[in-house]
Amino acid sequence: MRACFARPIFFACGIAAALLCGGAPLRAQLPAAAGRPYTGPRTPDGKPNLSGIWQSMNSAHWDLEPHSADEGVPAGLGVVEGDTIPYQPWAADKKKEHYANRATQDPINKCYLPGVPRITYVPFPFQIAQTPKHVAIAYEYLHAQRIIFTDGSPHAPPNDFWMGDSRGRWEKDTLVVDVTHFNDQTWFDMAGNFHSDALHAVERYTPIETGQVMQYEVTIEDPKVFTRPWKISMPLYRRAESNMQLLDYDCVDFFWRRMKSSR
Amino acid sequence: MATRFFAALAVVTALVAITSQVPAAGQSSTGATPGAATFQPKRTAWGDPDLSGYWLPGGGGMMEAPAGQPFKSTIDPGTNSAFADFFAPEPGARTAPAGPRTPPRPMIVEPADGRVPLQPWAMDKRTEIVAHQDTVEFLDPRVRCLQAGVPRANLPVGYNTYQFLQIPGYVILLYEWNHMTRYIPLDNRPHVSSKIRLPMGDSRGRWEGNTLVVDVTNFDDRTWVVGHGAPPEGAPASSLTTGHGVFHTEALHVVERFTLIDANTIRYEATVEDPNVFTRPWKIQFNAFTRAPADHQLFEYACHEGNSRNIKLLTGFDIDKGTSVPSARKD
Repeated sequence: MRACFARPIFFACGIAAALLCGGAPLRAQLPAAAGRPYTGPRTPDGKPNLSGIWQSMNSAHWDLEPHSADEGVPAGLGVVEGDTIPYQPWAADKKKEHYANRATQDPINKCYLPGVPRITYVPFPFQIAQTPKHVAIAYEYLHAQRIIFTDGSPHAPPNDFWMGDSRGRWEKDTLVVDVTHFNDQTWFDMAGNFHSDALHAVERYTPIETGQVMQYEVTIEDPKVFTRPWKISMPLYRRAESNMQLLDYDCVDFFWRRMKSSR
Repeated sequence: MATRFFAALAVVTALVAITSQVPAAGQSSTGATPGAATFQPKRTAWGDPDLSGYWLPGGGGMMEAPAGQPFKSTIDPGTNSAFADFFAPEPGARTAPAGPRTPPRPMIVEPADGRVPLQPWAMDKRTEIVAHQDTVEFLDPRVRCLQAGVPRANLPVGYNTYQFLQIPGYVILLYEWNHMTRYIPLDNRPHVSSKIRLPMGDSRGRWEGNTLVVDVTNFDDRTWVVGHGAPPEGAPASSLTTGHGVFHTEALHVVERFTLIDANTIRYEATVEDPNVFTRPWKIQFNAFTRAPADHQLFEYACHEGNSRNIKLLTGFDIDKGTSVPSARKD
């Protein structure tokens, strides 16, 4: 029931508390095949081969938590374990303020890099190139780029990156990526969910069965903003079109097309 | 200590490679590729020449021969590129392996006069562009944090290094500057529909011997073809040697050639065609990529995110304040 207090949709707590705030809502985000061992192609070094073009298909981009439809916003079952992000009280207020001012304050509306994990579930494809020492991800959205080191190297010295510093390792058939050194400028979604520069994200990419789907799970830790670590989870899907390739959504170009010189 | 040792070793290796493999690189003005015919590169597990690794910008000399009176820059009177010494190591610092020196000739090797063969109207437009770098309409797209386009992405600029990756069927070029990525498929697939326009174009690669040949089409008209370093303020277009202000249309067609000429140097060539702008195809050639030390890595270059002062100066719009981005130009 603790989770109910911060819920923006109050009626849900009263009417359907047992349904929405109890039990195991995370199970809803797992594909039916979750837990089945990976049988798909492998790289020469024996890892599942994640190279290829992937995309999320859900409404996390608009709101990580379960939410009703709004104009231009598809309703969503939510991707947060337990349905509710465990904000500290001040941060819950801040999130509401963000929501009210999202049209002008959402960093994505300024064409700023979306951060991690948000870049994974913006509604655009991304392409993975997996080598023994690096897993590079190119995102169609804003030509964002991540180079995940899988060579055992430690994090770079502290810095304030928009996309963090990513160091990966394989745990059996799961690619586990530790991401740190964030700034405090990015949000998690268009509903104003946010973090501080203390954000620490641990992503888990687990391909399932033949490798057409992988489960994406992120543990999010930020002692300045949340009362405890929390998790999101969603499937990612391989784009199956035979001619599929990344194109380009250069938001900055669209920004400049709207601007004119002041003199 | 180990890192330092290997860096020193790399320098020695590079010097040996330079002196033994490419004696004529600096003097060539024929467009030939010295060393390329003889050097046998390492190969990937699946047999392609191995271009992978970290790379630093190579040469930083003149792009083009000046057409008018040479402009004397106070910063860099030699080339007005303002780049040549950007990557010069600080005294006592761990250094990158020394690459072959910039050839003492313009990067433009065709036509022979080393100049961009602009049509007369395009020459006028370039003059206008260079003279109005204080306006949104004409300002260098790179200064606005747009993607660099091709071949411009491969020209030396500050804060840019490269990582090349290879997986079966693809060469992937990662550019540190403005986090640009190019996936180059090698499977002979056709270009995307001509209805699709892309800032970095649509790349299709193939191997010709040890050379990666990339055919690039489907460009938009928002980038410049070339332009490296920074031109000195106030320099007229006719005196520039940096390639700034050379625009193109959607008809731009670029064919690139990447060739390892020794273990630590990639020779780069690009043939540029756009019948709307140029009188003939033209070609640049220089040693664009020098192998970086083993512990090199790319760092995030968040360009637009750090550009608020330029945006304010140019447009009066304060992006930091969180005020609404104008939804349409009010012309």
